[in-house]
Amino acid sequence: MRDFIAKYGTALAGLLVFVFLLVFARNFASSANLLNVLKQTSFLAILATGFTFALLTSELDLSFANLASLAAVVTGGLIAGGTFWGLAVVAGLAVATLGGLVNGFLVTGVKVPSLIATLGTAAIANGLTFMITGGVAFVGRWDPMFLALARGKIFGIPVLVVVMAAVVLSAWFVTRKTRLGTHMLATGEAQEAAHRAGIATRRMKLIGLTLSGFAAGIAAVLLVANLSSASPQMAGDYLLNGIAAVLLGMTMFEPGRPNIAGTFVGALIISVLANGLVLLGAPYYLQDIMLGVIVIASVSVSASVLKKAAFSV
Amino acid sequence: MKLRLLLSLGVVAFAVTRAVSAQAFELGVVAFQMSSETHARVANAVEAAAREKGWDVVVLNSNGTLQTHSEQIENLVQSGVDGIVLAMSKPVEFDAQMQEVKDAGIPLITVMSGASPNALFDIQVNEYAVGSESALYLLGQLGYEGSILTDRFESNVGTRIRGKVLDVVLSENQAVKEVGSHSMARTKSWQEDVRNGMNALIMQNAGSFDGIWASFDGQAFIIDDLLKQQGMQKGDVVLVSTDGGPETFRRIKSPDSMLMATVAIPFEAMGEAAVDAMQKIAVEGAEKETITSGPYLYMKADLVDQSNVDNFIKE
Repeated sequence: MRDFIAKYGTALAGLLVFVFLLVFARNFASSANLLNVLKQTSFLAILATGFTFALLTSELDLSFANLASLAAVVTGGLIAGGTFWGLAVVAGLAVATLGGLVNGFLVTGVKVPSLIATLGTAAIANGLTFMITGGVAFVGRWDPMFLALARGKIFGIPVLVVVMAAVVLSAWFVTRKTRLGTHMLATGEAQEAAHRAGIATRRMKLIGLTLSGFAAGIAAVLLVANLSSASPQMAGDYLLNGIAAVLLGMTMFEPGRPNIAGTFVGALIISVLANGLVLLGAPYYLQDIMLGVIVIASVSVSASVLKKAAFSV
Repeated sequence: MKLRLLLSLGVVAFAVTRAVSAQAFELGVVAFQMSSETHARVANAVEAAAREKGWDVVVLNSNGTLQTHSEQIENLVQSGVDGIVLAMSKPVEFDAQMQEVKDAGIPLITVMSGASPNALFDIQVNEYAVGSESALYLLGQLGYEGSILTDRFESNVGTRIRGKVLDVVLSENQAVKEVGSHSMARTKSWQEDVRNGMNALIMQNAGSFDGIWASFDGQAFIIDDLLKQQGMQKGDVVLVSTDGGPETFRRIKSPDSMLMATVAIPFEAMGEAAVDAMQKIAVEGAEKETITSGPYLYMKADLVDQSNVDNFIKE
């Protein structure tokens, strides 16, 4: 029973919240709103999935939100400047991925602790966004094909949801079904043992942090397409929510361990709460309070059941 | 058994509350950044005016984040509110979300945001007039010659216009030189940004500037404190700004403050006007044209200095 609660307690609590909203929040159950929630989850889920890769190898990435903002202004700036949107998207993805690669190099090559290294790159990325924009958002008339990346639909399903599903499922497949995933996990769980077993642990960390940057790039492109604008600190708010989603994820399915399925459900719980509180007519400050409470409560409960110290991240 | 009874009573009470409140007009309000005093003044005024009419109001805060703002608008559409007021929004960036509001048949009024074809109108002051008032006041106090520092903010349409109008005024009065300028870039940590930027400018130009132009009062408060730390006294430097509010008026009146004047924007009146207009259009069925024919409903902004500040402190 304890094991069941540890594995599924948070997900069940999320389900209870969902059922409560289905009953009491007007229009929550409508298909339009449920798709709306999934759309809103997509940015957070993609960013948090990237962060999960870094955390799998036991490294922190505190730069993903700033890298996403940088990639967003690069993409938006190039499009606003007349570059073909496809090239701008590639440039945005490349910038964020490069940022992740730099993080990986700093951690594995220069031996800077990831907390410090990624805080540093976050600050650099932040400075670069202001250097590029001067603090002013890029706006203008955007190619409808580009906007369709975030606003389009495929067989009635928003493209955002399709992209999110592709990212999350690919990440899940990599972590659960491939040797790369196994090696990343081994690196994160017992680095010394993994290294002795012949696993290239430094390379795993490099890949984890690079994938985190790449995911930030994907989210950035989608953000720009969704808002048809690009501004500095565009993704700034996602840092805390992203970490919260991953922490929530660590309390379910594979308690104490970062896992893609848990991260996705964590992101979904945060989005459902944000949406549900609006539909219930709750005041704005309750959203932040609820987010704080749910993170503390879920982590405390699971940690006490497991008596593990894995939540000290 | 008791627990079950209590739960049942709770559910019934909740359902009854929802049913009763469902009869009232529901207004959704989204402020772009509640940590900004002006945004909060508009949102709080809308909330108060709406509650006075017996409406249900949900006030949301976008924390200064574009994506959060778009999600708040989308969530309000899904919740099926009867009307939406956006404070300090950005119609160009949120064109798609405002279109969703219009498509859902929800009347939308914006405040200090700029015009949108998807909104009924935007409640504004004429920022070009506001900009010229503060710029001309500053130059008048300097006798149309001297050197000034400026603190600008380009990310907001209103403050950007004020800065552009200042440039026009300076171009026509070339005996006044802008010897240094700081442009506030960060919205989330703007106080720190202003403090660092203006502190450096004041140090670099110590003794060689006669006035400071700030694009909004929040900047002016920080600059005022920096000048006081330098040992300056009222009249040593002419500091002017725009926005108004109790703290601004207190500083204008205070003998210790460098702040000489502001152009007071009636944020509370704008919030009340938004609710009144919503009442007429969405509840009473009046045509939008009976309130304003264009995309803006303009309100008057007053220049406040020591000569008339008492009138505003009394309010």
